[in-house]
Amino acid sequence: MTFTETDPIKMDYVDPANAINMPEMADMTFALDFLIRVKDGVRYSAIALTETISLDARALLYAQLHQGIALHQEITDLMVRKKWFHPHELHEQYQLDNFSANNTVAIAKMNLYPEDTRRKGMFDRTPDEHVGGNQA
Amino acid sequence: MINNQMLAAHESLELHEALNLKTLNLAKSKLMQGLVFDQELKDLMQKDVEQSILAINNLQAVYAKAPFQAPVPEFRPTPILN
Repeated sequence: MTFTETDPIKMDYVDPANAINMPEMADMTFALDFLIRVKDGVRYSAIALTETISLDARALLYAQLHQGIALHQEITDLMVRKKWFHPHELHEQYQLDNFSANNTVAIAKMNLYPEDTRRKGMFDRTPDEHVGGNQA
Repeated sequence: MINNQMLAAHESLELHEALNLKTLNLAKSKLMQGLVFDQELKDLMQKDVEQSILAINNLQAVYAKAPFQAPVPEFRPTPILN
C-alpha cells in the first residue's frame, strides 16, 4: 500500500492499535450525545410552554421541563466525574473537542459499508410498491 | 372549563413536535444502551427510557384533545410490506 503526504492513512479498522482506549472514547461520545439530547429536550419544553395555554398541557410540559433539568444535572455530574467533560479546565476541553472531532473525521473517511444497502429482495414484496414508493 | 376543551391548533402542533421528539429520544436511548460500556451511563440511559415511556403516555393523553384527533388502529392500515 502506498501513502501520499496529502492524505496519509492514519486509521485502519483492522489495526488492533485502534482498540486502545476505544471503550472510553466511545462512551464519551455516547454521553455527549445523551447530554445534548436531554439539553435539547429542556430547551424544547421551555419554548413549547411559552406557546401553550391549556392547563393540562402546561402542567405536563412544566413537569417534563423540570424532569429534563434534573436528568441534565445527573448526566453532567457523571461526565465530569468520568473526565469526559471538563467545564472548568477549558484547555483540556479544547484538546478533547479537537481529539474527538479528528477521530470522528478519520472514522468517517473509512469505507465501512457495502456499496448497495437497499436489501431489496429480502422482503416478501417490494417495500411500498402499492403506493409507487419503489419508483420514487 | 378551558382545560376540558379541545386544544388550540398551535398547541396541538406543539404537542405533535413534543411527542415525536420524545419518541425519537426514547428510540435512541434504548438503542445506545446496547452500545455503551460504562454501567453508570447505561443506568442513566435506562432511567431516561423509563421516564420517556411515562412522558409519552402523558403526552398522548393530552394530544388526544387535538382538533384533528382520530382513532388509532392497532396496526398500520397499509402495512409497508403489503
